[in-house]
Amino acid sequence: MKISTKLILFFCGVVTLFVLLAVALLAQTRTVSAGYDALLARQVRQAEEARVIQVSFKKQVQEWKDILLRGHTPDDLVKYTKQFHDEESSVRSGAEALAAGMQDAESRDLLEQFVAAHKTMGEKYQAAYDAYVASGFDFKVADKMVRGQDRAPTDLFDQVVKRLNDEVVASVAAQARAVARARNLALAFSGGLLAGLGLVGFVTVRTILQRLGRLKAVSDRLARADIEGLSVDISGPDEIGQFGDSMKGVHAAIEELTKLASAAGQA
Amino acid sequence: MAAKLNDFYKQAAQEFGLAGRIKLAMLTKISSEKAEAAPDSPENIRIFEQAMAQLRAGGG
Repeated sequence: MKISTKLILFFCGVVTLFVLLAVALLAQTRTVSAGYDALLARQVRQAEEARVIQVSFKKQVQEWKDILLRGHTPDDLVKYTKQFHDEESSVRSGAEALAAGMQDAESRDLLEQFVAAHKTMGEKYQAAYDAYVASGFDFKVADKMVRGQDRAPTDLFDQVVKRLNDEVVASVAAQARAVARARNLALAFSGGLLAGLGLVGFVTVRTILQRLGRLKAVSDRLARADIEGLSVDISGPDEIGQFGDSMKGVHAAIEELTKLASAAGQA
Repeated sequence: MAAKLNDFYKQAAQEFGLAGRIKLAMLTKISSEKAEAAPDSPENIRIFEQAMAQLRAGGG
């Protein structure tokens, strides 16, 4: 094979390798991006929604306390009652929507339990509210009726939030492991290919340099007209072989010339 | 040993002089000294015939 062909093939091999590596890296980047997009689109969004519902629930309980503290003023009673029901409605619709879209069975079950507990709590709060108004805004009566009633739904929802957060953390860790595995595989694959190409390149260059060295030695001897016992044993289908073949012709011509000159000298 | 190959050298000298011998050596890559030792093999004869044809085509 000609040296020019070898060099072109080697160059094409390197270019192809880098193109393949670029394509592989692009595909890898897309996979990682898709993985994180899926994570953001479902698990992170659900965890975020759960946190919003958790805050709304705490605000609902806070509004109840505002009703008890300030409900003796008609305007405040209207204001905090409305805000209490708004938060209650927001919590319930949010929890139901979250449960409907939940893939994790245990989280869905916890949410359904929360919705039921929240509904029961709402009924008890309504009864306490009625007693509060009927008693002339005696907060002690109402507080006694619902004291500790928010504990069960709070605990249930805390479990939901914790479970969703744990799921996000686990998914991020799994994604990071997948990325690390793919990165190591890409490094090993590209490293192996580069090492292979490097070895082929090294062997090719070394062979060319060795043959060029032999050719130079022949050329040096011809330049010195030192043809006694000279053998031009450089062959092959490449440019060096062709050059070596031409050298054989020059060598033979010099031998012939030398012989003729010698014969002329003797004559 | 290589009577035919030597004949090619004589022929080259007759037709083109000393320059013809040198050119024949260059084209065949076999000097007359080596031609004496080389066999009259069909391959060698073919090489010399082609070289002679080239010399004749080039006018020596």
